[in-house]
Amino acid sequence: MTPVEIETLRLSLKVAIWAVGVSLPFGVLVAWLLARREFPGKLLLDGIVHLPLVVPPVAVGYLLLVVLGRNGAVGDWLYDWFGITLIFTWKGAAVAAGVMAFPLMVRAIRLSLEAVDERLETAARTLGASPPRVFLGITLPLIAPGILAGMVLAFARSLGEFGATITFVSNIPGQTRTLPLALYSVMQTPGGEDAAVRLVLISIALALAAIFASEIIARRLTARLTGKKPRRGR
Amino acid sequence: MSLIEFSAQRRFDGITIEASFTADAGVTALFGASGAGKTTVVNMLAGLERPDAGRIVVGGIVLFDSDQGINLAPEHRRLGYVFQEDRLFPHFSVARNLTYGAKSTGPKAQSVEMGLVTTLLGLEPLLDRRPATLSGGEKQRVAIGRALLANPAILLMDEPMVSLDATRRAEILPFLEQMREQLDTPIVYVSHNVDEVLRLADTMVVMGGGETKASGPVADILSRIDLRQWTGIHDAGAVITATVGDRADDGLTALKFNGGALQVAGLHLTPGRQVRLRIHARDVSLALEKPNKISVLNVFPGEVLEVNQTAGAQADVRIDIGGASWPAPIWAQVTKRSATDLGLAPGTKVFALVKAVAVDREDVGPGPKSGHS
Amino acid sequence: MSFRLLKAVLVSTPLVMGALPVIAQEAVVIFAAASTTTAMDELMDQFEAVNPGVDLRASYAASSILARQITSGAPAHIFFSASPQWMAYAAERGAIDEASRFDLVSNKLVLVAAPGRQMDVTIGPGFPLAEALDGGRLAMGDPDHVPAGIYGREALESLGVWTATEPSVARTMDVRGALALVERGEAVAGIVYATDATLVDGLVVVGTFPADSHGTIVYPIAAVAGTGTAASNAFLAFLKSDQAADVFARHGFGPAPDA
Repeated sequence: MTPVEIETLRLSLKVAIWAVGVSLPFGVLVAWLLARREFPGKLLLDGIVHLPLVVPPVAVGYLLLVVLGRNGAVGDWLYDWFGITLIFTWKGAAVAAGVMAFPLMVRAIRLSLEAVDERLETAARTLGASPPRVFLGITLPLIAPGILAGMVLAFARSLGEFGATITFVSNIPGQTRTLPLALYSVMQTPGGEDAAVRLVLISIALALAAIFASEIIARRLTARLTGKKPRRGR
Repeated sequence: MSLIEFSAQRRFDGITIEASFTADAGVTALFGASGAGKTTVVNMLAGLERPDAGRIVVGGIVLFDSDQGINLAPEHRRLGYVFQEDRLFPHFSVARNLTYGAKSTGPKAQSVEMGLVTTLLGLEPLLDRRPATLSGGEKQRVAIGRALLANPAILLMDEPMVSLDATRRAEILPFLEQMREQLDTPIVYVSHNVDEVLRLADTMVVMGGGETKASGPVADILSRIDLRQWTGIHDAGAVITATVGDRADDGLTALKFNGGALQVAGLHLTPGRQVRLRIHARDVSLALEKPNKISVLNVFPGEVLEVNQTAGAQADVRIDIGGASWPAPIWAQVTKRSATDLGLAPGTKVFALVKAVAVDREDVGPGPKSGHS
Repeated sequence: MSFRLLKAVLVSTPLVMGALPVIAQEAVVIFAAASTTTAMDELMDQFEAVNPGVDLRASYAASSILARQITSGAPAHIFFSASPQWMAYAAERGAIDEASRFDLVSNKLVLVAAPGRQMDVTIGPGFPLAEALDGGRLAMGDPDHVPAGIYGREALESLGVWTATEPSVARTMDVRGALALVERGEAVAGIVYATDATLVDGLVVVGTFPADSHGTIVYPIAAVAGTGTAASNAFLAFLKSDQAADVFARHGFGPAPDA
C-alpha cells in the first residue's frame, strides 16, 4: 500500500475505534432507558436516537456543524472550557461517525436487554445484591453478545460514514480524510479508477476482518454463557 | 414476640390480598389453592411487591411499615428466596451460583457454611458444572443451597417443587427434611400439596380467596374439617404425634401415642424418634362392642365427640380415643345409615378400628423439633 | 356503492396519467453547476412564465458529479458546467451534442473572509495568505476535482503561495460547502466564485484573483446527446438571449470571453 493509503487506513481505524468506544457507554445507557424504564418523553428520546437512520447524512452533518462548530452553541463552550475543537479534526470525524452509528448500536443492545430474563435479576436482589451489582454481574454478562453485535455494527457503519463527515469536518488529508472520503476524491478525479479500486479492496478487507473477529468473539461468549462447550484447560 | 409478624394487604387488578399471621422458628407452611394469594404474601415478605398498607417484622427488624414509611429494598432484607423455577445464573458455575449471596455478607458473618450445605444437599459432584447441564431436581437443589448460603434471617420457598415430576420430588424431599432437622434458619414454605406440608411443616397458615383463614400447628389445622374448602382436603383425617417403637420380626412397628399403640405395617422408621402421622377417616371403622376374631389389629376404645353430616351419604364422626388428660381425637367416616343405626351421638362409647396397612409412607412426617409442642 | 366509485377512480387514474404528457406539461431537466443556482432559478421562472406548457427542473451539484452522472446515463437534457474540463470529459464519452455547445458566461474567483473578520491582505504574488489565516482554515472546493477548487489552486500556485497555504485548506464537496463554512465563521477565509460572495450578507470580499492567475472560468453549456426536444432547444436558445444575459450580469456573472 502507498503511504497515502496507509495514512488513510490508520485514520479510518482511529476514527471508527474512537467513535465506537466513546459512544458505547451512552449506547448502553440509552438502550437500558428505552428497554427498562417508563418516563414522559420516552417516545421522543426513541425518535431522536433513530433520527440519523432516516435523515439524510448531510443534514446530520450540517446540524453538527451548527451545534458543535467553533461558533456553535456547544462547540463554543467546549473550546472555552476545555480547549477542545472538533471541526476540521479527526475528533469531529469520530463524532460524526459515532452519531450516525449510534442508532444501530442502541437497537442491538436494546434487543438483547429485552431478551434477558428479569427474574434472574430479581433473584440476584433477593440474594443481597444491590442494583449496580446486579447490573454488572448478571445483566451485563448476559447482554454481552448484544453489546458486541452493536459494537461491530457501529464500527462498520463508522468506517463507511461519508455525508455527515464531509459536511461537518470537510476533507483534510491526515485529519479527516477517511477511506470513504478518499475514495470519493479519487472517484471524482478523471483517471483515478486504479486508486479507487485499491481503496475499495482495502475497505472490503477491513469490513471482513471486523466481521470475522466479531464472529469468533461471539462464539466464545455464547459458550461461556451457556456452558455447553466445555472450556479446555481450566 | 414471634419471629415473623406479618400483616399486610395489597390490591391489584381488582383483587385484594389481605393476610395476617405470626410464626416462630421452624417451618411455616403457607397453604392454599392456586390464586389464593400465597405467592403475593411471600413476595411482600421479600420486598418484591409492595403492600398498600401493613407491617412486616422478621427477627425483630421492621421490613415494612406503611405508617412509618419504612420499606426495605430486597437486597437489604437478609432473606433467601427459592422460586418455583430455579433461576440459576446461566453464566456462572454451580459453585459461583452458590456463593453469589455469600459475597454480600462477608465470610465472617457466615453462619451456614459452604461445606455443610454442599453435603446436606448432595451438591459436591455438581460444583464445577453449569446450570444448563443439570437436571430439574439438581437445579432446584442448587437454588436451595444458594439461598441458604446467603445467610438469610429466614428462608422463603415458593412451591419449589411445583415444576418437578414425582421422581424428582421424591429425590428432594429427604434433603428438605434433613435441612429442617439440621438448620436453625426459619423457613416459610408455600405449597398446595398436603404431603409436603405434613412432612416438612411445623406451623401452617391457610389462605383462601386472598385472606388468611386460619393458622396454627400443622396437626391441628389438618384435622379441622371446617377448613376443608380452603385446604382442598376433602377427606377428613386426623394428625397425631407418636413415638416410634421397635420393629417386630414380622414387619410391624408400634407407634405409641396418647390413645395407645398403633401397629403399622411395612414402614421403616427409626425407633425412639417422634413422628407425625395422618390417619384418614375412611380407614377408620366404628363398633359399639369390642369385636373379636377380626383381622384389624388396632382397636381403640373411645368416645364420640361430634357427628358431622356431610352432603352425600357419609357422615364424619370425631372420636377421642385418648382420654381427658391425653386427648387423641381422630376422624371416622361412616355411612349416615350406620350412624343412625348405631345411634352415634356425642358421648356414645365406641371402638375405633384402624387397619395396620392403612398408614403408608406419605402419611408419616417428622415429629416436632425439640423445644416446640 | 362507494366501492364501485373507488374502483372506477383506481382504474381510470393510470389511463389519465398515461395520457397526460400529451395534454399537460413537457419536462426539461437541466444539470447545472452549483454556483449557477440563484441565476438559473430566476431564469427558469422567467421562461416558465412565458411558456406555461413547459416544466423546467434543475439539479444543482458540483460539475464533476454532474458530468459523471450524465456519462452514466442520467436523464438530463442540458448540461451547464462550471468548467470546460468536465464538459470535455463528457464530450469525450459522447454524452454531449457537440454542435449545441457554446460558452455562456464567465465568473471570477474571490477571496472572502468570515463575517465580522478583517483580513488585511492584498492579493498579489507571494501575498502573506498563510500568515493572515493565523492557524485558521481556508475553505475551498476540493482542488482534486471541484472546478472552483481547481481554479483556486491554480491561482494560489501561480501567485506562489500554494505550498505555504495547502496545510490549512479545508476541502469541501462543492463550492457551496466552502461558502457555508465561511459564512458560519468556522473557516476564517475561503475561495469562492464572485457570484457566490453576493449571496451571503456580511461576507467580506478581501479581493478578486487576477484573471490571469488561473484558467479562464468559463461556463460552457450544451445539450445532452440524443435528448433534444422542442422545449429543451427553446430553453437553450433563451439562455443565449440578451434578456438572459442581463439576469446573469445581475447575479455577478460576466459575459463569455468571445461574446
